[in-house]
Amino acid sequence: MASSKRKHGSGQTCVIPGGFSVLSLKFSSDSAASHSLYVKEHRVRAQSHSGRPMDRTLFVLNVPPYCPENVVKELFSQFGSVQSVELKDHPSSSPDSGPRLSKIFRPAEKQGFKVGYIVFQNASSVSAVKSHAFDVPLVVQTKERPVKTGVQKWIQQYTESFIPKEKLQKDVDDFMMDYDKRKEKAEEQQRKEAEEQQEEEEGWVKVTRGHKGTKARPHSEVANKKTLQKEMKKKKRKELMNFYTWQHKNTQKEHIAELRKKFEEDKQRIALLRAQRKFRPY
Amino acid sequence: LVHIPMFTPSASSDEEDHNEAPTEAKRSKKGDAAVDDSNVLYHPVKLSRSDLYRPPTAEELNQLKEAESLFHCNLLKMQMEELLKEVALSERRKKLIDSFVQRVTKLLEAVPETAEVEISDLSWLSGSAKVPFLLLPQVTKGKFHMAPPSSVDPIGSYPLGTCIKPHVVVDLAVTIPANVLHPKDVVNQRYPRKRALYLAGLAQYLASFSDLGPMRYSCLHGNRLRPVLLLIPPGKDSRSSFTVRLHACPPPGFFKPSRFHPLRNNIRTEWYTGLQTSNSEGIEPPTPHYNSSILGDLLPKAHLQFLSAVSSQCPAFADGVALLKVWLRQRELHQGAGCFNGFLASMLLAYLLITHRISNTMTAYQLLRNSLNFLASTDLTVNGVSVAKDPDSSAPSLAEFHSAFQVVFVDPSGHLNMCADMTACTYKQLQHEASVSMQFWDDPTVDGFYSLLMTPKPMIRTSDHVFQLCELVKLQSSCKKLNLLSELMDHSGDYIHTTLPLILSLLQQGLGQRIQLLTHSLCPDPEWSVSNEPPKYKTQPPISFGLLLRPELATSVLERGPPADSPKAAEFRQLWGSRSELRRFQDGAITEAVLWEGESMCQKRLIPKQIITHVLKLHADIPESCLRYVGATVDDVIKKGSEVPSTGEEESLVVVQAFDDLSRKLWALEDLPLSITSVQGAHPALRYTQVFPPVPLKLDFSYFDREKKSKSLVPSKDKPCPGIRWSDSVLAVICHMEGSGKWPHDRFAIRHIRAAFHIRMGELLKKHHNYSYKPCPTHLDVWKDGLAFRIQVAYHREPQVLRESLTAEGMLVVRDNEEAQALEMATIHKPLLTSTLHGLQQQNPCFGAVCRLAKRWLAAQLFSDDITEDTADLLVASLFLQPAPFTPPGSPQVGFLRFLCLLSTFDWRNNPLVVNLNNQLTGTDYTEIKNAFMASRESLPVMFIATPKDTKQSMWTKRAPSIQMLQRVMVVAAESLKVLELQLMDGTQIQDVRVVLRPPLDAYDALIHMNTNQVPLLCHAVDPPGVNFKRGVITGNAKASSGVLPVIDYNPVSLYLTELRDAFGDLALFFCDPFGGTVIAVLWKPKAFIKAPFKTSQASARSVEVTGDEAKTFPNVSAILEDFRILGKGLVKSVEAKTEKWSF
Repeated sequence: MASSKRKHGSGQTCVIPGGFSVLSLKFSSDSAASHSLYVKEHRVRAQSHSGRPMDRTLFVLNVPPYCPENVVKELFSQFGSVQSVELKDHPSSSPDSGPRLSKIFRPAEKQGFKVGYIVFQNASSVSAVKSHAFDVPLVVQTKERPVKTGVQKWIQQYTESFIPKEKLQKDVDDFMMDYDKRKEKAEEQQRKEAEEQQEEEEGWVKVTRGHKGTKARPHSEVANKKTLQKEMKKKKRKELMNFYTWQHKNTQKEHIAELRKKFEEDKQRIALLRAQRKFRPY
Repeated sequence: LVHIPMFTPSASSDEEDHNEAPTEAKRSKKGDAAVDDSNVLYHPVKLSRSDLYRPPTAEELNQLKEAESLFHCNLLKMQMEELLKEVALSERRKKLIDSFVQRVTKLLEAVPETAEVEISDLSWLSGSAKVPFLLLPQVTKGKFHMAPPSSVDPIGSYPLGTCIKPHVVVDLAVTIPANVLHPKDVVNQRYPRKRALYLAGLAQYLASFSDLGPMRYSCLHGNRLRPVLLLIPPGKDSRSSFTVRLHACPPPGFFKPSRFHPLRNNIRTEWYTGLQTSNSEGIEPPTPHYNSSILGDLLPKAHLQFLSAVSSQCPAFADGVALLKVWLRQRELHQGAGCFNGFLASMLLAYLLITHRISNTMTAYQLLRNSLNFLASTDLTVNGVSVAKDPDSSAPSLAEFHSAFQVVFVDPSGHLNMCADMTACTYKQLQHEASVSMQFWDDPTVDGFYSLLMTPKPMIRTSDHVFQLCELVKLQSSCKKLNLLSELMDHSGDYIHTTLPLILSLLQQGLGQRIQLLTHSLCPDPEWSVSNEPPKYKTQPPISFGLLLRPELATSVLERGPPADSPKAAEFRQLWGSRSELRRFQDGAITEAVLWEGESMCQKRLIPKQIITHVLKLHADIPESCLRYVGATVDDVIKKGSEVPSTGEEESLVVVQAFDDLSRKLWALEDLPLSITSVQGAHPALRYTQVFPPVPLKLDFSYFDREKKSKSLVPSKDKPCPGIRWSDSVLAVICHMEGSGKWPHDRFAIRHIRAAFHIRMGELLKKHHNYSYKPCPTHLDVWKDGLAFRIQVAYHREPQVLRESLTAEGMLVVRDNEEAQALEMATIHKPLLTSTLHGLQQQNPCFGAVCRLAKRWLAAQLFSDDITEDTADLLVASLFLQPAPFTPPGSPQVGFLRFLCLLSTFDWRNNPLVVNLNNQLTGTDYTEIKNAFMASRESLPVMFIATPKDTKQSMWTKRAPSIQMLQRVMVVAAESLKVLELQLMDGTQIQDVRVVLRPPLDAYDALIHMNTNQVPLLCHAVDPPGVNFKRGVITGNAKASSGVLPVIDYNPVSLYLTELRDAFGDLALFFCDPFGGTVIAVLWKPKAFIKAPFKTSQASARSVEVTGDEAKTFPNVSAILEDFRILGKGLVKSVEAKTEKWSF
């Protein structure tokens, strides 16, 4: 593993093709093995997310599961003060969408290796990280900063799973209030739009662009299908079956063809079974 | 120990590679891996238009019509034709046989003559050949000399053309010249002895020709009076081997058939016992069996003539007999003493033909069907039949035959009962098999061909309970006890077959209504070398008896007899001896009764054992030590409890009752904003299939730490992990609420409303019933009577809401997604499965126990993550719903064996397994399922299980197993089945059924050993450790439901496994026995260990290597192994890396 990096000599940074710098990370100072973190300045084509300013954000790959956000923040504080840390399962451009949920209502996260976006206060910190020597490993657990893993962590998790009833109720109430408000707003808007469609005093209707055409076509997939099916049925009902001689002949022909097809299918099935020696009874 | 090769690493990660047929493992086991079938795949038939619609010829039309009308599927017709091809003798082999027979015939004609000596004088025999006869009593009168046979003729199945593979036997009748015999020789075993001497003479003569191959003696259908000489030609390959059987026969018509009337005596008591008997008034007991054994020698040529005449009239005769023989062989009825052999099968068909029950133009398929129909409907033990058209006046009547024999089927001459040695039980078994076969033959939902002709039915897999009589020498004393001297004389000292019918009738009486059927194994024909003395009777292998139980009656502890004053009472007392006592019942009646011991279900299941032991000891003097009862040996692995051992039925019942009570209380809650529409269980324990059902327990509060605010109990850091039996057993309950406009139409809002319901429900339960509870957004935990329930509120439209989304144009689209599927699974399918299987348990009392055994095995072999609990339950359910060719399992053990058999032999590649829950599917549904399956095989799960609610997708097996794991499961199941059946049927093997529960660990790449004190279910381990830890539990009854919530759903091992799979799931597979396993086995995925170019999406736990300007990554194994330790701190004892193959 280490052979490739030894080439770069001691006290040097290690940069691999693709532009990533490699940092090593140990769980504790007496650990024998270490993981490699791959870091790079965050760069995307379109500035879509204001939470990750391009110049100050560091993109980190391979963050081990025992490094939660607070630990990562402290680990990287040695390069300059950290503004925020965001850990993700996969590299992703967009942050969460949808309404804000309280922590207890979010589904459980996967506890695997993560991808991190670290936003520093200063842009200089990013380059400081990138030039960090490969053979000086970052250490996760120190005396001042114990990291709970294993049984200790699970007991803590279990303890935290007790949510006071009042807090739970409050979260629910808050969310539902918020939800009701949002719903009211949406209804308000709809009503407005409907009003706009109403005839004006002089009998004119204001025609606007946008999704008001929904009236003309069914606005759900299911309804779409239903109308299609209805039309098909209509067509079928009007057709005459087995009326002309040729139609009758055709059905007979179809019947024989079906028998033939079944026969061929069975033959093939048998051939398959024979090939697998399925007929030897013992 | 079971040693099974692990699948090769190259195969373990190509999950997409479906091209390998799962049957390969099975086939390579059979040893004919020569044909590579992995290329033969089913492709939907595509006929060109011109092929399909060309005008049919008359012949083709006929063929198609015949296939349609004669067989409900022409597949079956073709299958039978293929089968016949497989068992038919090849021309090459026939030539080999003919030339060998010719040579033997020629040699035999030149047998040298010897001087005449007394029968008892054996000096003319050199040591190379012994007499194949037990000379008891030693002396009999008469003279004997060797002479060339007057003729040598092939007889039996070979000349008739009904001989089939394997074990091809060619019979040759060597006719003893008339001057060697004397018409009076029928008396006192003189003729049988002369015959044996004659065979010894032949053997001695033939031994000088070394190219004939080894010679052995055997005896015909286990009858020691009728020895035969076996010639086994030396063959290069065993495939073309055959055996030539020499029978010595008297010249036809040498003895008068009337001498062998079943009521006549041919063995004198005085000669047999060697005593001057006092009652020498001349009333000698009849010797029917002895008579028929000699008569049988007199007639084979006549029989052959008769059968040839019949078969020449009916073109399908030979094929019909061949099918019937295959059918008999799969049911182990074709050989041994008192069997229904191929000869009887031919005779049966001949009988049906000459009585015009079947016509000469019928096909083999119809012949088989009609003969099975005849067997099923005719009881030859009561109404015997005769092939003889017009027997002469001296022939005995059927009534006379019935008085001497149990089963009567008279030959064409009218003198011989061909079923003389058959016991009534064997015939009943035959009848039972025939009627079972007829039942499923027409069932379109059963693959008739496989059940009928391809599935072997060994006794251990057919009968619910099996026991063996070992030390057969003890039967001698039962002969005395039962006063069977004259019968013993009739059987010429064969005390086993003398006592067998009586033992059978005793058992039948004792077991009575508890059993449907009593069967016994047929003693195999002994074989011994010509230079050895014949083996004694006592060297015979043990006789096995099989019981087919009536589940509803078999476990009753009470045997209620007649009222004390009824005349039948004496009979009852005689049968049960001192066990019978007068008892007064609740209805006021005072009757004789026997009460057997048994508190728990697993003890009650062994009541037949108590009965058998008692009856045999009392009446036949057979000590308990001779009995080897293997009815419930396998149950040990799920047996718990020290005072009253139990296999979980009682515990499950307690759980189900607690659930019913909770459900009632939930229904009664009034102050909920919406009403409840259903309360359903969704946990294996609520359908009686949880391996170790939770037991209500009392807590030791001082054992736990307390959470600061709510004072709830939490596990303590320094003490062993708490919880013996509840950690894995939070009983899921799904509670559907009524639909209402009040429900929001938004996924997040629904989630919050559900949480509100959980809180409210918990509060109400606390208020009214004082249950402690713990509300969570996803569920509500309730602690009731020492059991933990997890209530989950469900809204029936939620999956729909999850599926809906708005496109940019404002169109509402419905797209299936995993979240919705998971929710439907949890709130709809699982509860439904639970209630359906709960119903199945009500019909089949041992269903749950079979599931428990099956799941214990899967877990112990580390497969529980691949074959999930629900899948395993469905597999077991299929054994009960579609037992053909068996009957539904009547004991956990037989169910478990069939489960292993199903796993190891089912052809998952080409067939869907249809589990017809509640019998909702019809024949057409089956065809539809099969067609849909065939059409899109490649995209469907490797293990496809269809249920009435799920015919297209096999949702239970969608995630797992992968093809590699399924293959491995099949191999391990086959091996376990082999080991287990051998152990159960052979008392000389090491008796330790846990062998099949110890997985081979040497095939894995790394092992993570865990601290035993942190493994909560340690006491359920396959081999529980001697030391046990205090785990915060006090023994005692836990009825008080008050108090604080205990530690629920805290299992360090499963938490650890989740973390490992989250972090390293794409690099390795993790296996663990959830029931007390202390080792996690790790298998690297070979695909992950191929060096890959550096990608941001695939950098996890990998280190990088730079060559030139290319960066490649591979797993950082040393860091990963260290992570195993870090993530499981406190739980992991050591990490053992077993292989070096991943270190590049």
